[in-house]
Amino acid sequence: MTSLEYLNDSHKLDRDLECDRDVVLSVSNVSKRFCRDLKRSLFYGVQDIATELLGMSRQTDSLRPKEFWALKDVSLELRRGDAVGLVGANGAGKTTLLRIISGLIKPDTGSVEILGRVAPLIALGAGFNPILTGRENIYVNMSILGLSKQEIEDRFEQVIEFAEIGEAIDSPVQSYSSGMAARLGFASAIFTEPDILLVDEVLAVGDLSFRAKCTRKIADLRIKGVSIILVSHSSGLVLNVCEQAVYLSLGKVKMTGRAGDVVSYYEGDLFGSGVSIQPGMMMVSSGSHQVDSPLKMIYIALKDRDGNILDYPVTGQEVVLAIGCEATQSFENCIVPSICFEDLAGGGVSDDPTILAFAPHHEGLLLSLPVGKSEIQVTLNPLVLRSGKYGIRIWLSKLPLPNGLSVCHDFKFEVKPPAFDMPRESNMFYQPRAWNVSI
Amino acid sequence: MTKSIRKSIKTIYTPESSLRHPLILFQAMWRDLLASRELAWRLLVRDISAQYRQSILGIVWAFLPPIVTAWGLIIAKDAGAINVGNTPIPYPAYVIFSMSLWQTFMEALSAPIAAVSSAKSMLARINFPREAIILAKLGEVFFNFGIKIILIIAVFIWFKVPVTWSVLLAPLAIIHLVLLGTGIGLLLSPFGALYNDIAKIIPLILTPWLLITPVIYPVPKQGWFSTLVNLNPVTPLLVTARDLSTTGMISEPISFWIVSCLAFVLIFLAWIVYRLAMPFIVERMSS
Repeated sequence: MTSLEYLNDSHKLDRDLECDRDVVLSVSNVSKRFCRDLKRSLFYGVQDIATELLGMSRQTDSLRPKEFWALKDVSLELRRGDAVGLVGANGAGKTTLLRIISGLIKPDTGSVEILGRVAPLIALGAGFNPILTGRENIYVNMSILGLSKQEIEDRFEQVIEFAEIGEAIDSPVQSYSSGMAARLGFASAIFTEPDILLVDEVLAVGDLSFRAKCTRKIADLRIKGVSIILVSHSSGLVLNVCEQAVYLSLGKVKMTGRAGDVVSYYEGDLFGSGVSIQPGMMMVSSGSHQVDSPLKMIYIALKDRDGNILDYPVTGQEVVLAIGCEATQSFENCIVPSICFEDLAGGGVSDDPTILAFAPHHEGLLLSLPVGKSEIQVTLNPLVLRSGKYGIRIWLSKLPLPNGLSVCHDFKFEVKPPAFDMPRESNMFYQPRAWNVSI
Repeated sequence: MTKSIRKSIKTIYTPESSLRHPLILFQAMWRDLLASRELAWRLLVRDISAQYRQSILGIVWAFLPPIVTAWGLIIAKDAGAINVGNTPIPYPAYVIFSMSLWQTFMEALSAPIAAVSSAKSMLARINFPREAIILAKLGEVFFNFGIKIILIIAVFIWFKVPVTWSVLLAPLAIIHLVLLGTGIGLLLSPFGALYNDIAKIIPLILTPWLLITPVIYPVPKQGWFSTLVNLNPVTPLLVTARDLSTTGMISEPISFWIVSCLAFVLIFLAWIVYRLAMPFIVERMSS
C-alpha cells in the first residue's frame, strides 16, 4: 500500500515541476438558478430573453419566487493534462456544471474561462437519425461535435474500428441495440481530440471489454495532454482515472482535494446519512435488562490496545470491544456472550442487516465473572470492517440456555476509512495481506 | 500531434448580456455562420435522405400539394363558382406558379420553428453553431422549391406560356421572398420553442394572409381591397418574381426594393435575437 502511494506522489511531483502547465479551465464562483414550476419557468425564460435583448444587466444574485439554486458559488481549476472527478448524489448539480462549462447555458454569477476546445461526452449519439446507417450517422455526429470534413475522413476508419459493431455499421441505427448505439456514439466522440473532455456517466455503457477499451483510450488522451472532467457514480473508476476530485452536494462544493479523500467522504455521506452516532463510550440504560438480574452491563466502548477509548475506530486498527459489567454473584465458566454486528447502511445477504456474529460458546468458550465490576474485552486485531456506520447487539446469558441475564441493542459506532484507498464498491471488508515474490 | 500548432481560442462565459460588446458579438456571429456551413450541409443531407428513404412516393410529395390545390381552383373557376377576373397568363399556369411561390414563403416562415423543434435533443446536449439547423432547414425549403420548378416548367410548356430572358433574374426575387419568411420565422422561433401557441397560431395567420396576396386572383387595380393587397409585404416580392418569369416587366419596382431592404434588416435583427435568446431556451429544455 505504502509503495503505491509513493508512486502517486512522485508522479505528482514531476508534474508540478513542469513549467508552463497552463490553466485550461477556470470556473470562478459560478451559480445557476432554476425554477421547478413549468409555467413560471417558461415565463422567466421570456423575461431573461427580454433583459438580454435590451442589454440590461439581470438581477442574478437573488432567487425569484419558486426558484432554487442548482449551483452556488462553485469554483474549480483545471490544468493541462489533469483529471478531476466530479462526485455527488443524483440532483447535486454535476450535469448543470458540465453544461455551463460546455457553453450550453449561461451562468447566473461568476465566470468560466476556457482555453481550447471542449468536447462533451454528455450524450452519446446526438444528431443520430435512426433511419440512416451507422456510417452516415458517424459523419453527422462528428460534424456536430465540430470536426471539418477532412478531419472526419482522417479518423473515419479508426472510429469504425473502435466501435467494433461489425457489419451492423451499414444497417439503420434503429436496428441497433442501445449498447451498440452507445458504442458508436462513444467512438465518434472520443476521436474528436479536444483539449478538455467532459465525461458524464457514460462509461457505464457497453460490455466489460469495451469499457476497458474506453478507459485505456482516456488514459491515452491524458498522456497527450487532454484534461478530463469525469462524472461517475463508480468510485473505483474515479479513483482509477483521476487524481483530484470535487464533491458537489445540493449545488455547493462540499470538498475538493485528493480523489481518495473526497471519495471516502462522499461515500460516508451517502451511506451513513440519517443515523447519528455518539462517539466514545456508551452507558447502558437500565431498561435493557431484567431488573433483578445478577449480571448487568454498565457500559460499552471501543478501546485501542492501550486501553484508551476510541471515538472512531479505523479499518485495520487493533480495536478492543470493552463491555463493562457488574455482577452480584460470581459466575464460574457459565456466561455465554453473544455479539452481532449490523451494517447500518444495510449490507446483509437478505433483509437481515447482520454481517458478523460471534457466538463463542459454539467455539467452546465460556466466561467466568467475579463479583463486582469487571470488563469483558474482545480483541479484534485487525478490525476488518470497512468504513461506515455499524450497530452492535450484545446478549449475556447463563448456561443452561436460554437464560438471558443482560441485553443491549443500542450501541452504534462509526468506522473511519484507513490511510490507504479502499473504495466501498470493491471492498466489502479489509483483508490484511503481505506481498512477496519468490524465485 | 498538432497540438502546439493549433491555436487555442480562449472562450469566456459570463452572465453579462452579449449586446454590451456588440463587436465581439458580430465577430462571433460571423465565425459561427462560417463554421455552420459544413454542418448545415450534413444535416440537410441527413434529413432529406431520411425523409425519402422511408417513403414510396418520395419526390411526388413535393408536387402533389400545388397540383391538387390548383386543380380545385381551376375547376371552381371554370364552373363559375369563383370569379377572379382575367390573368395575364392562362389561369392554371398562373395559379400553379403563384401557389408554389406562396407555399415556399409559408415553408420559409415555418422553417425556423420546425428546425428548433426537431433539433431539441441536440440543442439541449451539445454546444454547436446553432445557425446550422436554420441553414439546413432553409436548404430543405430551396430543395422543395427546386422540385416544384420542374412542375412549373412542365406546366409552362403545356400551356405554351411565353418566357423572356428576365426569367434568370426571378431567383433573386424568390430569394428575397424566402428571406422575408425566414426573418419572421426566426424572430418567432425562440418563443415558439417555449410556448406551443406560436406554432398553432401561424397557420391561422397564414390562411387569411393568402387571401390578401394575389395568388389565386390577379393584382386588383382599384378599391380598398387593392390598398390592402399593396400594403401586404409579400405582394411586391411575389408579383416581381412572377413578372420576371413571364412578362419581363416589373410592375412595382419601388415597393419591391423597399420590402427587400426591410427583409434584409429583419433577417439580421432576427438572427441577433435568435442568437441571444437560444441559451435561455436551451436552459428550459430538458435533456
